[in-house]
Parts: sequence; structure tokens; C-alpha cells
Amino acid sequence: MNDELRKLVEAHEADAHRPSPHLVEQWHNAIDEAAALERGRQREPRQHWHPGSFFWGAAVTAALAIGIGIGFVLSNNGEPSVNTPIVANVIPETSVTPAAFTRGLAVHLRDSRQQIASFDEDTDRTMLVLQIIEQNRMFESAAEYNNAPKLARVLRAFEPILLQLAASDIAPEDAEALRAQLAFELNVMLTKLASESSDESHTT
Amino acid sequence: MNKLFKLVIITATLLLPATGFAQDDEPGDSDSLKMAALEALMSAPPEKALPIVDKVLAGNHSNEVKERALFILSQFDSSEAQATLLRFAREDTGELQVEAIRMIGIGGDKEALANLRDIYQTGNREVRDAVLEAYLIADDATSVYEIAVSADNEEDFSEAVDMLGAMGARDELRELRSRAGMSETLIDAYAISGDYETLRELALDSSDPELQTKAIEAMGIIGGDEVDNTLVEIYRGADSEDVREAALDGLLISGHDEGVLELYRAATDPGEKRQLLEYLVIMDSDAIYDVIDQALAGDR
Repeated sequence: MNDELRKLVEAHEADAHRPSPHLVEQWHNAIDEAAALERGRQREPRQHWHPGSFFWGAAVTAALAIGIGIGFVLSNNGEPSVNTPIVANVIPETSVTPAAFTRGLAVHLRDSRQQIASFDEDTDRTMLVLQIIEQNRMFESAAEYNNAPKLARVLRAFEPILLQLAASDIAPEDAEALRAQLAFELNVMLTKLASESSDESHTT
Repeated sequence: MNKLFKLVIITATLLLPATGFAQDDEPGDSDSLKMAALEALMSAPPEKALPIVDKVLAGNHSNEVKERALFILSQFDSSEAQATLLRFAREDTGELQVEAIRMIGIGGDKEALANLRDIYQTGNREVRDAVLEAYLIADDATSVYEIAVSADNEEDFSEAVDMLGAMGARDELRELRSRAGMSETLIDAYAISGDYETLRELALDSSDPELQTKAIEAMGIIGGDEVDNTLVEIYRGADSEDVREAALDGLLISGHDEGVLELYRAATDPGEKRQLLEYLVIMDSDAIYDVIDQALAGDR
């Protein structure tokens, strides 16, 4: 092996299979800011949908998705990878659902509830519901990855209802019934997440 | 407010008779309050909450309130909750039965899910669809596969195969090919599940021209560079007009206007050029004005 080739191989081995500290910091910031926003909302509930909230939902989702994606990339075609422990620092594979995921999910559920409640005649309902479905799918994948199959099932159960709601030819009273059902189920999940998080903080 | 006090208020709200509640209010207001109380039950311990939910389900309440109560049940990991859901799925009818089946999917209890098979067999179309949806929610592709394999009519088979496609259950769908033979329903499901390898194999198999053209078109649903390149190659190597048109339809579905443009520039037959130009117009290709300009000027 000549020197140039050896240098290339060394450079490749030392390279960026691990996420840069800067990138990791960005993910954590996204999650923290979403959590802070959630705390802020609890004090001052919004009256209208705000695109910014969707951005933060997307930021958390993107952080989780990138983490999952890098996890797959680093699996290195099934061969053991020396870099895997670095990924474990980003999203650890533990038997406990990470608190950051639960907080991100709460933001998603709260945003979905708010958006569904604030539909009016001028809303492009189909487009908005499809955006919610897209977010929902990402959180469903993240729930599976974060050892939360029950949450994944509930999120999957939302999708058929959302798809019905996205239909443009749905009767107004049927749309209202679906919105009421979704609002209830989203509220129940938020209450459950808050209750579980409260129990954990009391026991620790 | 302590938990016990909250629970007393929730119980009182939920167990008030539907007809005698708050005479001045609309019935909807009474239901709204009960639903809010049901929501609050999620913060109560299961041993306190479950008897209250059971009473709601046994009481004289609207279907809407009972449906919400079923959702609450699905959130408790207890055999009693699962047994109640199964009882409603078996013995009730209409919306409550369908909702109970959905909740069994959310609960994900293996035994309860296995019991849905009998309910599927004796149920009408609505119940059967609800069972398939419950398996989708529970991500139980094996049960949907078993329904597809044992289906004795086209509708049951096709609904189960569609569901496997939506679940992305490629292994089960491939297995069905050998068990049930190839069909258009299966090709659609391969497309929805993103099974490019199987569709490519079918697209290159000319033994059944009808299925071959269907598979070529369906590849467009999957899309992506690999599919786009394959479709262009199939078009170039086509030995029949049907295959060529199917490849064009596939390119139209995948939105690969660059590939169609490439084929347009390479075509020498005026009829073929005209057809490719029509596709470029339908696809609203960015290059369409240059192409039209060149065509009018007599260039290639």
C-alpha cells in the first residue's frame, strides 16, 4: 500500500462516521428549545396555530430522525462498528423511553391538538392534516426506536382518523365528530404522559 | 387538589344519570363534562380508574361517551381491561363494536389480538375492515397474512393484501405470491410497500403481458433514481407498444421528466416524438418550451 492510499484509509477511518460535537449540540438545543416552548405554552395557551410551533416540532423530529438515520448508517452493513458507542451518546438504546423523546412527543401531540382545533373555513385542511400525518409517522418510528411500542400503536391509530379528516369530500358533521375524537384521544395521551412524568419525578 | 378528591369529583360526574343531569344544559354539554372526567381518569391509578370506566360502559350513556371510555380502557395494561374490550368487540354491534376492535389494536395484547380472528370470520364487511385496521395498528402483519391466505373470496383477499401493502409487509406479500399466485392486487401492494425488487422482476417477465405492463406502471409509484433508470431502459428495450407505453406511464407517475426528455431527444420516429412531447407537456417539464421551440424550428 503506498503512502497516499494509506493516508486516505486513515483519514476515512478517522472520519465522520461519528456526528460532530457541533451537530450533537444542535440536536440537544432543538430538543431543549421545544421543551422550553412546551413549558411556556402551559403558562400561556395559544389561541391560534403558529407556524413556528410546527418548526420546532419538525426540529425535534429531525433531531430524532437524524439520530435514527445515523444509527442505521453506522450499523455498517451489519458489521460491528467501532464508532457505535458514540451514537449511543446521542440516542441510547436502553429499556427506558428517553425523557427527551417523551417531551418531543408531548410537543407533537399538543401542536396536533391545537392545529386540529383551529381549523376554519379558510384552512387548507387537507394540506394541514397531511403535514400532521407526516409528523405523526416520524414520531411513530421514533417511538418504536425508543422502546415505546404502546405509544407507537396509539400514534398509528391516529393515522386512519387523520386520513379521513384529510378527505375533501367529508361532511361537516363527520369532520366535527372526527376532530372531537382526535381531541379527546390527544388529550388523554397528554394527560398520561404528564402523569407518568410526574410519577417518575416523584419517585426520583 | 389531592388525588382522592379529584377521583371523587370524576366519579360523581361520570356516574350521574344522563337524563337527569343539569336540566338547563344541552345533552352535549353533559357529554362534554363526562368526557373531560374520563380524560382526567388517566391520572388515576388503574385499580381506582377501571371500576369507574366499567360503570360508565354499563350505564345509560351515549355511544360517544362509551367510545371514549373504551379508549381509556385501551391505555391500561390489565387483563380486566382487555377482557372488557374483547367482550364489547364480540357482543356489541355497530360503532361500539368497531371502536372496541380498534382499541384491542391499540392495546396490543397478543391474546386479545388472536381472538379477533374469530370476530373477523363472523363479522360483516365493516367489522372485517375494523379487524384489519386493528392488526395494522398493532403492526401484526402475520395475522393479516393469515387472513389473506385463508380468504375464500376476492374482496377479503384484496382488502387483506391492501393492508399488507400499507404495512410495508414485503416478506408476507412475497410469500403470498407463491401461495396465492400473482394478481393485480398484489402488484399494487408491492408498489405501496416499496418492493422494487419484486416489481422489477415482474416488469422484466413477459410471460403474462397484462401483469407485466401493470408492474411496469406500478414501479412509478415507488420512484427514485433506480426505478427511473430501469423505466428508461425498459422503454428503450421494449418489444411491444404496450410495454413502451407502460414505461412512459411509469415515468409520468414517478415524475421523471428528464428521462422522458432524454428519450425524446433520442427518438427519430415522428410519431414517437409526438407521443413523448405529449407526455412532457402533461408532466409540465421545465424544458418543454425549449423543446417546442426546437420542434417548431425543425431541430431535434
